Amino acid sequence: MTVAPLTLFMLAALVLMAIGLLGLITRRTLVGMLISVELLLNGAGLSVVAAAKLTPVSDVAGNHLAAIGQLAAIFIMGLAAAEATLVLAIMTVVHRRFGAVTVAELTTLRSVK
Amino acid sequence: MPDLTAAAGAVFAGAGALDAFLQGFADMKLPGLGEDIMAYLAYILYLAMMAGGGLAAVLAGNLVRALLGLAAAFMGAAGMYLLMASPFMAFMQLLIYIGAICVLIFFAIMLVQNASGGEETRRPGLGQLFYGLAAAGAAVLLFGPVIVRHAGRLARAARPSETPTADLGQGLLSYYVVPFELISMILLAAMAGGVFLIWEKRRKR
Repeated sequence: MTVAPLTLFMLAALVLMAIGLLGLITRRTLVGMLISVELLLNGAGLSVVAAAKLTPVSDVAGNHLAAIGQLAAIFIMGLAAAEATLVLAIMTVVHRRFGAVTVAELTTLRSVK
Repeated sequence: MPDLTAAAGAVFAGAGALDAFLQGFADMKLPGLGEDIMAYLAYILYLAMMAGGGLAAVLAGNLVRALLGLAAAFMGAAGMYLLMASPFMAFMQLLIYIGAICVLIFFAIMLVQNASGGEETRRPGLGQLFYGLAAAGAAVLLFGPVIVRHAGRLARAARPSETPTADLGQGLLSYYVVPFELISMILLAAMAGGVFLIWEKRRKR
């Protein structure tokens, strides 16, 4: 049985996604969750580049678009950078207001216990 | 999951199937069977970096160690980009993820809490661990069979060729010009929003 390289790279991206999901649920603080989200986004970029590099890609007119997947992954990286910036600012504000970034502490919207 | 286990067995079986499924790996400029073995070993190394670093990032009790694991996982992914013959992506991965995002997360750790103590040193509870493993397992069960069954059929047999960086630039200014402009707006908005969020609080003090 032959395994295509695309399968190998997709499985690598799936490993990153599974680990990221595991961390997103088991982490208790916003910092840990941010780390997990970055793992998830990295897996997404890896799979996009793998899909575009190892399969034939063309637009409706039939032109070969070799760079399209890599550019999409660069946009993912840009979004990840923007997201990390905003999350850092939000974490700073949350830390000032609640004195902690533990998810269990942020319970303003919870009804009276 | 007979398909998945069979494929995983084939992946790690060793020398017999090795030559066949490494056909599409990047050109590593080594003659004959040697280049495939090198690509295979590099893939194993990068995958181990990604999985080990990712697990450290997710499970380490010390957040700075978790960040180091994250950087290792990013480096493994950069190696994967190199294997896919996209060195520009590998450099961007190093530049943006390790150079910018890791440093940003380090700032977050420093601003927010003492790294070695705190809530993260506690092990996750049994229920949390169960739900986390369930989510990860669901992702693997959903996408694993699809990947194993269909990715091989879609893939091009030839080795991936390197895309010239000029093509990337042209793509940004032709068919991707709107997303290109949008992402600069998003970055500007995120930076301005971040500054605003922190500024507001400080003025009140």
